[in-house]
Amino acid sequence: MHLLAIEDDAEAAAFLAKGLRESGYTVDLATDGRDGLFQATEEKYDLLIVDRQLPHLDGLSIVQLLRNNGNHTPVLVLSALGSVDERIEGLRAGGDDYLTKPFAFGELIARIEALLRRGQATEVSTRLRVADLEMDLLGRTVTREGRRLDLTQKEYQLLEFLMRRTGQVVTRTMLLENVWDLHFDPQTNVIDVHMSRLRSVVDRGFNTPLIHTVRGAGYILRDES
Amino acid sequence: MNPNPGLRSSTTRLALAYGALSALLISALLGAVFLLTRGVLQREIDSRVSAEVESFTDVFESDGIQGVTDTLDKRTDSWGRLGAVYLLADSSLNPLAGNLTAWPKDVRCVPNGRVDFRIVAIVNDETVSHPVEARCEHLAGQYWLLVGTDTNDRERTLHRFAVATAWGVGLTSLLVLALGWRYSRRTSRRVRAFAATCDSIVRGDLTRRLTVSSAQDEFDALSTTVNAMLDRLERQTDTLRTTLGSIAHDLRTPLYRLRMRLEESLLDPKGPETQELVAPAMAELDRVQRTLSTLLEIARAESGAGSAMQQQVDLAHVAREMYELYAPGLQERDIHTRLEVTDSAMVNGQRQLLAQLLANLLENALKYVPAGCSVLMDVHVEHSSIVLMVADTGPGIAAADRERALQPFVRLHDTRSDSTGSGLGLSLVAAIARLHGATLTLEDNHPGLRVVCRFPSSDGRVG
Repeated sequence: MHLLAIEDDAEAAAFLAKGLRESGYTVDLATDGRDGLFQATEEKYDLLIVDRQLPHLDGLSIVQLLRNNGNHTPVLVLSALGSVDERIEGLRAGGDDYLTKPFAFGELIARIEALLRRGQATEVSTRLRVADLEMDLLGRTVTREGRRLDLTQKEYQLLEFLMRRTGQVVTRTMLLENVWDLHFDPQTNVIDVHMSRLRSVVDRGFNTPLIHTVRGAGYILRDES
Repeated sequence: MNPNPGLRSSTTRLALAYGALSALLISALLGAVFLLTRGVLQREIDSRVSAEVESFTDVFESDGIQGVTDTLDKRTDSWGRLGAVYLLADSSLNPLAGNLTAWPKDVRCVPNGRVDFRIVAIVNDETVSHPVEARCEHLAGQYWLLVGTDTNDRERTLHRFAVATAWGVGLTSLLVLALGWRYSRRTSRRVRAFAATCDSIVRGDLTRRLTVSSAQDEFDALSTTVNAMLDRLERQTDTLRTTLGSIAHDLRTPLYRLRMRLEESLLDPKGPETQELVAPAMAELDRVQRTLSTLLEIARAESGAGSAMQQQVDLAHVAREMYELYAPGLQERDIHTRLEVTDSAMVNGQRQLLAQLLANLLENALKYVPAGCSVLMDVHVEHSSIVLMVADTGPGIAAADRERALQPFVRLHDTRSDSTGSGLGLSLVAAIARLHGATLTLEDNHPGLRVVCRFPSSDGRVG
């Protein structure tokens, strides 16, 4: 996977590149907006990581210019501007995801993974299946070992989000942003409470747990057997 | 704003007052002219009649009754003046000369007395009754002389004059009212347009300006001044936004580098104590970062540097969502929760900020309300405002501390051991409320704390 990071802060860019390379990505760096736009147009990347405040051309303008030229490479906006409406502004400009600095590296990796795997659906189906857990998207029902699970609407949405990203780490903020459409940092463990409720329905009473906690990052749904 | 102000509009009241005043003035003027004209006509007739009576008296004194009869015959033949009425009668009121066939029945004979009676005249082959004003004179205590005037024409003229006066007063008043109404409409339309523009500026759209017409009137002078003020405000807000952006950048960049270094040291531990040292440092860093975020959010909300508050948001829906998000956490701590929300409660604002406001109130409940207590969330419509209330039966806040609780960095509970609170939660709630034009009050819930937030309703708002 080939990524381009546009970041003017040399030290931060070096850390970013190092961390991403250790996670198995090929990374190119651009240090100002103009070079970044040029590189993003010239080469075919799988994902762009764009800082907002850049010399010569700001990050959101880069995204807008790319989108207007029909370039739909996924863009993850990284920025020190993190207020609610600045984040929304970033997404409206055409960014696919928005992360405020500083962030946990695990959060960044999880979001990159999610963006890279997006639109890679293997088959078109009205059913999602992980081991013996099955979700019928039309009937909005969930069964495990053929037994019907009783879920609330929010629990269903949570599980759907996890099942659509089977094998990927999903962070708490990703859940809050995507399932609840909320863009702020809760100061309490609200998401964990909902996840533990979901786990009690999905995993309790079954031999193999499917939902796992990833320390320092979030959750993952996968069949480990 | 009332879309149809009617009598409440000051310009309408002014137009009505002017209408009434001019109607009064015109009535007085035309009324005076009418009375004056009638007086002049009356006096003219009176003097003519008196002169004639005197001349008849002179003729009687010099030539006797025969002289008077001759003069009368001459006068009646040639109709000395228009509408003249003469009658000379003997002592038993039998007519001797003049143009009346008989002494009018209802006229009593009073020497030198003024009398009114009606005569039957034939005009264009039609029999009509005309009023007559006359003077009665006793000649030598033997003959009665009646000299008068048919006042029909005069009365008709005066009547026409009165009708014309009434029409004049009515039409003028109508015209004044119509002009006043038009002027009032124009004025109030402009004022309403001003108010609508200012309203959207207050709600954060600083690009709007008041319209300046080519008329160069007082309104345009006002618009120009207000627009200049708005230009300055917009420039200042832009500067502020840039400044806040720079602050965010300059503070977050070192935090970002620091966090990356710490993460790197965790990936590549130099010894077993690395984890022990780094993990708390990272937690501390995240706390600093959260505090910074909250402060920047407060600054943006307070300064109005954030996005426009133009969207319509259903506060009831946001409340239901946030209740759904936080209720399980509260229930897990053995806190009873209850939701009382009306179907829909539209406010002007931003959903994310309103959600943040509710989240802060519910997180406070999570932090400070002990097990066994209860939390109630309520959204209802009250007159033209929408009331959001989060009430708990926890320890509450002492009346003296309530004002202080809304200020930044004030923590009322002894939280030195508690690392979850930044002391900014309620300040952010207050800032978001202010940004939405809402009033925030902390009240006693007997027992507990009741946070009440009153939003202006966005229903029926113009523009």
